Amino acid sequence: MEPWHLQPAHDTGLSPAERLRSVRRESGLLESLTHHFCFSLLRIYFAIAHRLTIMGRENLPAHGPFVLAANHCSHLDALALGAALTPRHRERAFPIAAGDVFFQSNVTSTFSAIMLNALPMWRKNCGSHALADLRQKLREEKSIFIIFPEGGRSRDGSMKPFKHGLGMLVAQTNVPVVPCGLTGVFEALPPDRNLPRPVAIKLVIGDALEFASTANDRTGWSQIAASVESSVRTLVAQSGTA
Amino acid sequence: MNNLTGERLFGFRHAFDDPVTVALSLAIVAVLLLAPVVILAVTRAAKLSAERTKELWDRYRSWIWLAMSILLPILAGAFWTILAVAVLSFLCYREYARITGLFRERTISAMVVIGILLTTFSVLDNWYRFFLALFPLTVGLIASGGLIADQPKGYIQRVGLGVFGYALFGCALGHLGYIANDWNYRPILLLMIWAVELNDIFAYVCGHLFGRRKFVPSTSPNKTIGGALGALVLTTPLVAWVAHFIWAGTALDSAIRLIGLGIIISVVGQFGDLMLSSIKRDLGLKDTAKVIPGHGGLLDRFDSLILVAPAVFHYVGYFVGFAAGQEQRIFSGP
Repeated sequence: MEPWHLQPAHDTGLSPAERLRSVRRESGLLESLTHHFCFSLLRIYFAIAHRLTIMGRENLPAHGPFVLAANHCSHLDALALGAALTPRHRERAFPIAAGDVFFQSNVTSTFSAIMLNALPMWRKNCGSHALADLRQKLREEKSIFIIFPEGGRSRDGSMKPFKHGLGMLVAQTNVPVVPCGLTGVFEALPPDRNLPRPVAIKLVIGDALEFASTANDRTGWSQIAASVESSVRTLVAQSGTA
Repeated sequence: MNNLTGERLFGFRHAFDDPVTVALSLAIVAVLLLAPVVILAVTRAAKLSAERTKELWDRYRSWIWLAMSILLPILAGAFWTILAVAVLSFLCYREYARITGLFRERTISAMVVIGILLTTFSVLDNWYRFFLALFPLTVGLIASGGLIADQPKGYIQRVGLGVFGYALFGCALGHLGYIANDWNYRPILLLMIWAVELNDIFAYVCGHLFGRRKFVPSTSPNKTIGGALGALVLTTPLVAWVAHFIWAGTALDSAIRLIGLGIIISVVGQFGDLMLSSIKRDLGLKDTAKVIPGHGGLLDRFDSLILVAPAVFHYVGYFVGFAAGQEQRIFSGP
């Protein structure tokens, strides 16, 4: 086990508003209880309203760090993946959400950070340092990231090609990437609807992939994106027919 | 709950029964009204940079909020005062847990939180024996809670930090709340807060005027012996003078004993300040947080009060006692 270090919270010195938007944010006791409570409620909601079925749960590593990468059709996706995690996992699980949607105002930031433990990813001018911070957090804090490598919701339900930001997080590390395929989410909450329909949702969790020997450069990142994308496509097809 | 207790807990009509409360409250309002004039004059005369000027105004705005959140609960009633102290305890513990990293130890942190909650209950209940019992009991709770992780490496440090946190923010600050069980708690609390803040200001001003020899340069490089002695010489008679009106005709009301109270507030207040400097220096931090614009964290602001609360409580308790004639075990009693 790890020895004890006197180590201030990584977000020490940030004002409350900066802290909510920072990827260095670490939850306290109360915030942690709030995430647990929200995800427990979501678990019940998905079980009742969407009869969420999960296949391949045994493929989830016992503890972090790892990355859950899935296809993205609706705002329900991150919530469904979060609800699929065990309480032990949830403590360190961070959905990576679009900064321009979920962290624009103080109200939405508070909701995303306190309720869902989300971290912002700024799509327009996200420099490589933002991904470097996330890469560091993943390994240092043994975090679990919930990521949608398409970079946005699909407008018609079909999968878009994966971006290579995912590769920048895990290339040349032992951090496993767990591919996930979600079906039913587009029908439940397409982009033009505000409230979800009670449609059944299925989640298939695939075998974890590791990229310790993949180069941490542009070619390596593209390889990782392509490899995870093909796994997710297979899982989506599999869950659609199952 | 009898009538007297109801009046003490919620009786805002009694807010200005004691002339010392009126005087100290008016002094707060006067300072807040005069401060903008002083700040304007100083910034004009000394031609301060825009940044320094903004910092002064930030500080002033924060002081308005701080003063209101201290003064209003004290005036409103003992219930609100005890509640405000409990909130202060939690916020201070939160800052402490975050800067030391103790917040990552969920079980130990939860035990400290339970300790603070129970302390608040014992204070509200006016159950002194439970209040006393809670220190060893909470230590036991923290030491046992620390076992759950089954991680002996670092056990002493984690439990030690938890006990220190409870001792400072649960137990020591709890004494501040316990004073509110006295019928005439308002002037006592206002005097303590005024004295501690003035003590800080006196130390700063005297340090600038007469400070040559450093006091504890490795802990706090700006503190000087001149500043510390200056604060002692100025705060002590001021406290003794005001305290004379609060405890007129009691066993505490003799020159020596009143001066003793003044010395305790000044000396212990300065040690509280140094204690937090030492904690911050150990961790390599400048401020404990960034929640009060112009001040830093709550701990940076209330550090001196933490050690003063139990010292004053037991000094006054030795001569006069607290909560004479008040109902005991208000909620838990038979």
